[in-house]
Order: sequence, then structure tokens, then C-alpha cells
Amino acid sequence: MLKVTNIKKHYGKTEVLKGIDLEVNKGDVVAILGPSGSGKTTLLRCISFLSHANEGHISFAGIDGEMRRMSRKQIHELRMHMGFVFQSFNLFRNKTAIENVMEGLVIPRHVPKDEARAIASRMLEKVGLSDRTDFYPDELSGGQQQRVAIARALALSPEVILFDEPTSALDPELTTEVLAVMRDLAKEGTTMVVVTHEMEFAKEVADRVIFMENGVVVEDSPSSLFFTNPKEERSAAFVKKILQK
Amino acid sequence: MSERLLRILVTSFMQLLEAGLKMTMPITLGAFALSVILGLLLAVVQVANIKGLKQFASFYIWIFRGTPVIVQLFIIFFGLPYVGIVIEAVPAAIIGFGLNLAAYNAESIRAAILAVPKGQTEAAYLVGLTYPQLMRRIVIPQAARVAFPSLWNNLISLVKDTSLAASITVVELFTRAQQVAARTYEPLAMYLEAAFIYLIFCTVLTWIQRIVERKMVWQSHTDNKNKRRGLLCLK
Ligand SMILES: Nc1ncnc2c1ncn2[C@@H]1O[C@H](COP(=O)(O)OP(=O)(O)O)[C@@H](O)[C@H]1O
Ligand SMILES: [Mg+2]
Repeated sequence: MLKVTNIKKHYGKTEVLKGIDLEVNKGDVVAILGPSGSGKTTLLRCISFLSHANEGHISFAGIDGEMRRMSRKQIHELRMHMGFVFQSFNLFRNKTAIENVMEGLVIPRHVPKDEARAIASRMLEKVGLSDRTDFYPDELSGGQQQRVAIARALALSPEVILFDEPTSALDPELTTEVLAVMRDLAKEGTTMVVVTHEMEFAKEVADRVIFMENGVVVEDSPSSLFFTNPKEERSAAFVKKILQK
Repeated sequence: MSERLLRILVTSFMQLLEAGLKMTMPITLGAFALSVILGLLLAVVQVANIKGLKQFASFYIWIFRGTPVIVQLFIIFFGLPYVGIVIEAVPAAIIGFGLNLAAYNAESIRAAILAVPKGQTEAAYLVGLTYPQLMRRIVIPQAARVAFPSLWNNLISLVKDTSLAASITVVELFTRAQQVAARTYEPLAMYLEAAFIYLIFCTVLTWIQRIVERKMVWQSHTDNKNKRRGLLCLK
């Protein structure tokens, strides 16, 4: 459903992505693990065209081609079919929770306002925030903001949602509430690519684990295998190190 | 205080106030409106990096910030008629002050736009907004709040700067004070009175600023007790 091949990205002389392949099938939950600086964020940003890959091919949402050659219109079209959840939430601060969720429905997708409001309120209910619909981001905790951000992505019925360390900016209790929402999504069959340091989550929720280091994919295994019997020494060492913390 | 002086003060107060309300304030508000609209356009073409217009904007700002406003007024009112463009004194003052202040406002607005966290722009693109949509719906409303205090500060300066319009024959508050002073031989009283009226105008604008700033906070559930306490702290 989403397939990228040979993504390369460099900033000046530093090669950040050295030819990454990633294929995600409908209903997959893929966890991307790896030490900080290994290029995980850059990978998600390239897939969503927030950063421009120097090389690579993408096939998604009926579009197939070289990433460098994508027109503005094609990029817009690709984005219309993917959701993105940031580490730092990035809610629109001048809009309430429900307005944040409605924005992508009403403006780009021309959904009538009351219909959009109904969808948005269903999404907020789903992430457990029915009682916060009219709150502004500044009036919400980090965990609540992240759940609004998830609702905002979800409301647009994307084919895949990319999560970039969605809980890294949160305290442990708030992390739990966000992960609970993500577990529910996984159960419902939402296709997700999740960059995370939450080993429990990767182990229990992900179907597949991709381990990245220094801009390359070191290992791509079913999650059951990855945690019990990793193919690569380096991924084994990484898991061990994280679990010891 | 002599009875004569008291009488002069009272009658002149109404005359000065009238000049203030009929000339100074309309020129101020007209020029300010022009300067905000033009300043916004100048700021947006710069951050949007529109080729040609961006260069024009920096050229514009360079010229209008780099030359005295009184020279600009003279060029518009006394100079332009020589190339066939005749503008009445009051519109000339509005245009002159408006064009001048636009250069300053453009810089305030540009800085405010750049202060809106980049992540929101990225999030806006990812939900499918186009650049103009994200500017209009997300960035500019937030930039407005950031820019507001400095724009309003410029407005308050403008109230006083409009006294320069006297030099292009506009009979505004200050010119009026000069006239009354010449007639009554009471320059000290007249100019103090003029100063007092400027002070009233600026005080009212400052109140308005407080009210608007309090309204511009994106919070719907702050409890009112805290808000009131905040107000007391200001005083
Ligand atoms: N905008 C940028 N300019 C220069 N270097 C960058 C930029 N963004 C990321 N990098 C570099 O790319 C590498 C990978 O970063 P990142 O993708 O954020 O890693 P991760 O998300 O795995 O921690 C890091 O070494 C980082 O310093
Ligand atoms: Mg990262």
C-alpha cells in the first residue's frame, strides 16, 4: 500500500539516510526503532515530503514515481492520504480541540461544517476527550494535546498514519493514555508506522519491527522474532540496552 | 487664575478638542488602517518569498524608514503637483503617514509571522491546507496577537506625529493651538492644553489596548477570578 525504495538524504556532507526501503501493507503496524540520530525522523519527514529526499521512489495512493520529481500537486495528493503525528503535537494554537480536528475536513476536503463537527466530535470521543472539545491547546495537558493530534489525523481517514515518537515529550502517566489510544487504533486495523522508544508497545502492538542505525535499516523482522530472536547482533544489543534502563 | 484666562481655557478646550476629533484622529486612524494593510502585504510577500515582490518590499522599507516623514509629506503635497498629481492636504497626510508607518509595521508583522512555531505550518500542510490557507487561517491570526502590541505602540506614536501635518497646511489639533495662542497671547496655557488633549487620546488608546490584549488570549476556560486578579496586578 505504501512502498518507498532507496530513499537517500544528506544534509551537506552528512548522509542521513543511505538508501532506505520500507513497505507497509494495509492494516500493518510497523514500529521503527533505533538510537537517536539514526535518521528515523528524517525518514518519516521524507515520506511526507516535509523534507525533500535526494533520491528515492514512492508508490502510494495511486501515485508512483521518483520522489525528487513529484510536483506540488502530487505531494498534496499524497499528503491527503497520510496522517502524521508529531513528537511535539503541533496543534493549531488559535483553534479549539474540535476546530483542530475539523480543519482538515472543512477546508481541504470541503466537508460541510456540521458534518465535519459530527465527525470531529466522534474522533474526540474515540480518544477520550469528549469533555474537552472546546478547550484550546494551551488549556490541555501534553497527553491530551497528543490525543487531539491523533484525532486530527484520524478524522481524515488516512490510509496510513505516521507517528514520530508520539510519547517522547510526555510524562509516564500521560504516555500511558496516549499509548492506550494507539493500541485501540491498532486493534481496529489502522495502518500505522510508529517511531518509538516504547519497547512494550513495539513488542505487543507492532506486527513488524524495523531497526535503523546510521541511516540504514539493520533489521526488518516480525516483532515476535525481533524481540525473542533478532537476526542482527546490533539490534539485539540495542534491545538489551533499552530494556535495562 | 484670572477669570479671563479661565474663559480662554474653556472655550479653547472645545476648539482644540474639536480639531483633535475632526482632524487628528481621522488622519491617525486612516493612516493607521492603510499602514496595517500595506504592512501586512509587505510582510507576507517577504515571508512567502515571492520573487520580485520581496525585493520590492525591502526596497520600500529601505526608502520609507530611511527618510524623514516630514520630507515624505512635502514630496506628496508640495512635490507631486509638479508632475500633475494634486492631492488635498488631508488625504496627502493620510497617505504620507500611512506609507511611512507601513514600513515599520511590515517589520513588526514579519517578525510576528516568523515567531509562529514552524511545526504548525507543517501540521497544516499535512492536513491538506495550501500555503494561502495556512497563512490566512493559522499563521496570521497568531501573528496578529504577537504583532498587536508593537502595532498599537506605532499607533500611539502616530497620534502625536500627526502634528507634523501642520506643515502641509492641515489645521489639526496643534495648528489650532498655535492659532489660539497667537490670538490670545497665552502660549503656555494653550500648549499645555494641547498637550493635555494628546494625552487624553493616547490614554484612551492605551485602555483599548489593554482590553483587546485581554481578549486575544486563546483560552476559554480560564477562571474569571484569575482574570480579575490579573487585572488588579496590572494597576
Ligand atoms: N535540518 C537538518 N540539518 C542538518 N542535519 C540534520 C537536520 N535534520 C536532521 N539532521 C541530522 O540527521 C541525523 C538524523 O536525524 P533524525 O532523523 O532526527 O534522527 P532520529 O529521529 O533517528 O533521532 C542527525 O545526525 C541529525 O543531526
Ligand atoms: Mg527523531
